[in-house]
Amino acid sequence: MAHQADEKRMLDDRGYTGTLIRGANPLLLFEKPVRDRIVESMYWKEQCFGLNAATLCDRAVELENIGGIYGAAQKPSKFLCLAFKLLQLTPERDIVLHYLRQQEWKYLRALAAFYIRLCWQPKEIFETLEPFLADYRKLKRRAREGFALTYVDQFVDDLLTKDRVCATSLWKLPPRTQLEDLDVLEPRISPLGEELEDIDADRQDGRTEDDSGSDVEVLDDGHGLGNGHDHDNDTDVDGD
Amino acid sequence: MPPKRMTANQDRSHRYYPGKVEYAEDALSSDSENSDAEASSAHQPAKPTLPKATSFPKDARLAANLSKIDLDARRAQAAAQEAERLKREADARAKEEEEFVTDDDNDEEDGSGREQESGSEEEEEEQEESTSSEDDVPKRRMPAPKFISKTNRKQCSVPVFSEEELAAQEDARRKERADEMLQLQLEKQAAAKAAGKKDWDDDEEGLADEVDDADDVDPEEERALWKIRELLRIKRDRDAIESAEKEREEIERRRNLSKEERDAEDREYIDTQKEEHEGKGKMGHMQKYFHRGAYTFDADDETKQLLNRDIMGSRFQDDARDKSMLPSALQIRDMTKIGKKGRTRYRDMKSEDTGRWGDLGVRDRRKDGEYKLDERFRSDGDAERAGGTGANAYAVGERRKRVDDSRDGRRDDKRPNLHYVYYDPA
Repeated sequence: MAHQADEKRMLDDRGYTGTLIRGANPLLLFEKPVRDRIVESMYWKEQCFGLNAATLCDRAVELENIGGIYGAAQKPSKFLCLAFKLLQLTPERDIVLHYLRQQEWKYLRALAAFYIRLCWQPKEIFETLEPFLADYRKLKRRAREGFALTYVDQFVDDLLTKDRVCATSLWKLPPRTQLEDLDVLEPRISPLGEELEDIDADRQDGRTEDDSGSDVEVLDDGHGLGNGHDHDNDTDVDGD
Repeated sequence: MPPKRMTANQDRSHRYYPGKVEYAEDALSSDSENSDAEASSAHQPAKPTLPKATSFPKDARLAANLSKIDLDARRAQAAAQEAERLKREADARAKEEEEFVTDDDNDEEDGSGREQESGSEEEEEEQEESTSSEDDVPKRRMPAPKFISKTNRKQCSVPVFSEEELAAQEDARRKERADEMLQLQLEKQAAAKAAGKKDWDDDEEGLADEVDDADDVDPEEERALWKIRELLRIKRDRDAIESAEKEREEIERRRNLSKEERDAEDREYIDTQKEEHEGKGKMGHMQKYFHRGAYTFDADDETKQLLNRDIMGSRFQDDARDKSMLPSALQIRDMTKIGKKGRTRYRDMKSEDTGRWGDLGVRDRRKDGEYKLDERFRSDGDAERAGGTGANAYAVGERRKRVDDSRDGRRDDKRPNLHYVYYDPA
C-alpha cells in the first residue's frame, strides 16, 4: 500500500484499486464517524503514518488496552487506530497468522483477532479463532468512561458472538450451528473436553460426588493454548 | 513661571506608576502598607516640600522609621521573638505527640499578637527587598553602624540579626522551598517524558491504574475463572441447541395435530393473553397515564422487571379514588398541574369533546350531492362496501321448490337446470 502523505485516496471511494475485503474498500468496514475520528486523531497522524507490517508490530507491542471510542469527544483508542492501519495495509494471511499465534504480546494477538474477524471468511474465522478461547490472559478494555477488565478468551468470544465490538459493527457471521448443519464445520470440542464428559457422566448417574477439587488442582498449564492433557482423576480417593 | 503640569486642573491627582517620583508627606507619618497608594493619590503639588535625601517613597519611609527605632532594643526584641517562636513550635510538636489539649486561649493571644507584629514587619521588609532586587544598583540605606567594643562583641553570643538580615533569611528559605518544588516538577516531567508518555495520552494516566492486566498474578485463580467462563459458554451453546430442538419439536407436533386441536390451542393462548391484559390494573377514572418513555432500553433481568412492572391502577399518597367528590376545579387527570401558573380549565379530552366519539367530521363534499344523480352515475364506493352492485346487490335467496325439480320429474340431467335463479324484483 502506498504511503502517501495524503491518505484521502484510500478513504475516497472512487478509483480504489487495492485489495477488496467483502467486495469493498476495507476501510469502509469502519463506520463513517469512526473513520473520521481516527483520521483526525493525533495518534494516527503522528504514529501511524507510513507503517508497514513490521513497524506496526512496534506500535502494537506498546499497546496497553483495547477499546473503541471513548470520552465525550469520541476519541479513538490506539487499538482502533492500529486496526484501521491493518485494514489499510491488508497484510498477507501468513503475517496475520503470525501476529495471532505469537505468544508474547496479547494486545497484538487481540489486534490480529479483530482483523481476522473483520476480513476473513466464516469458516476460517471459526477455525482460526476458536483455539484462542483457551487463552485466559487479562486485557484492559477502555470503555466510554473508564476501564474494564476483560480476558482474551472473553474478547474472542465477543468477536464470535456479538454484533458490535470496539465501536465497529461486525460483519454478520452465520452462527456456528448453521455452519455445522451445512457440514462446513465440526462441532466444537472445548478444551475442557474430558472434564466436561466427566461432569456430564456424573450428572447423568446422579452421583453427588464433588469433582471440583480435582479439576482445579491439576491444571497447571501456563497461559496459552490449553490442550487436553492427561490428569489423574482421583475421585476414588476419599478421606481417610 | 509656567505651571509644572500642563493639565488645566492642577489639583487633579496624579497617576501612579512604579518608579515615579513622589514627595508624599503622608507616607512618612503612617506605618500602613497602603501608604504607596495613598502617597501617590495624596499628592499636593502646590506646597513645596523639603526634598528628602532619597527619592523612593519606601526608603523615605524606612529612613523615617529608622530614625525612630533603637537598634539594640530591636535586636533584642527580635531575638527574643525568635527564641519564643522556636519554643512555641517545639511545644506545639510536643503537644501533638502527647495529644494534650492545652489552653488554646493563651496560645492564641500570644500568637496573634506576635503574628501581627511580625507580619507587618515582614511585609515591610518584603517590599523593601523587592524594590531593592529590582534595581540594578541597590540604593538602600544601610543602618548606621554602631560601634561595639571588643568586650561587648564577645558578650553577644546569640547571633542577632537586623531586620534586613532576617528578611534575607526568610527570603532564602522561601526561595529554597520554591526551588525544591520546581525541581520536583521538573523531575516529574522528565520522568513522564522518559516513560514515553505522549500528548495524546494525558487523559489515560490516573484511570488506567485501577485495572490491572498483569498476568500470572495468581495462576490458579485465573485458571479457575477461565474454566467458569468456558463452562458458561458451553452451557450457552447447549441451551441454544436445546431451544432450537424444542422449536422444531413444537412445529412437528402442531403439524401432526388436526385442525380443531390447533384452534383449541390457539384459543387457549389468546385467552391467557386476555387474562393477562385484564389482570393488569385498569386506569381509574381520570387517572394520569404514566408512560415509560420511548427510549428506555432493556438491560438485565432485574431492570426488565422494573421496567415492565404494572403501575396502572395503583394509588399513590393523596390520590383521590373518586374524583367526583372533589370540587370541579380539582377534577383533572394530572394533579401535578394544580396551582401552577397558566393552568387552563381543561379537564380531559372526553369532557371537552364537542362532537361524537369517533365522528371526525370528515365529509366528502362530492358524495353529498350524489343522491340527486341517477343510479348509474353514482360513485362505486358505498355500494361496493355494502356487498354488491348490480346483480349482486341482493343476496341470493332460498331456492323455491318447483315440481319438476324432483328426481322423478327430471327427464334430462344432461341439460343445465336454469330454474334455480330466483329473481325478486322487490
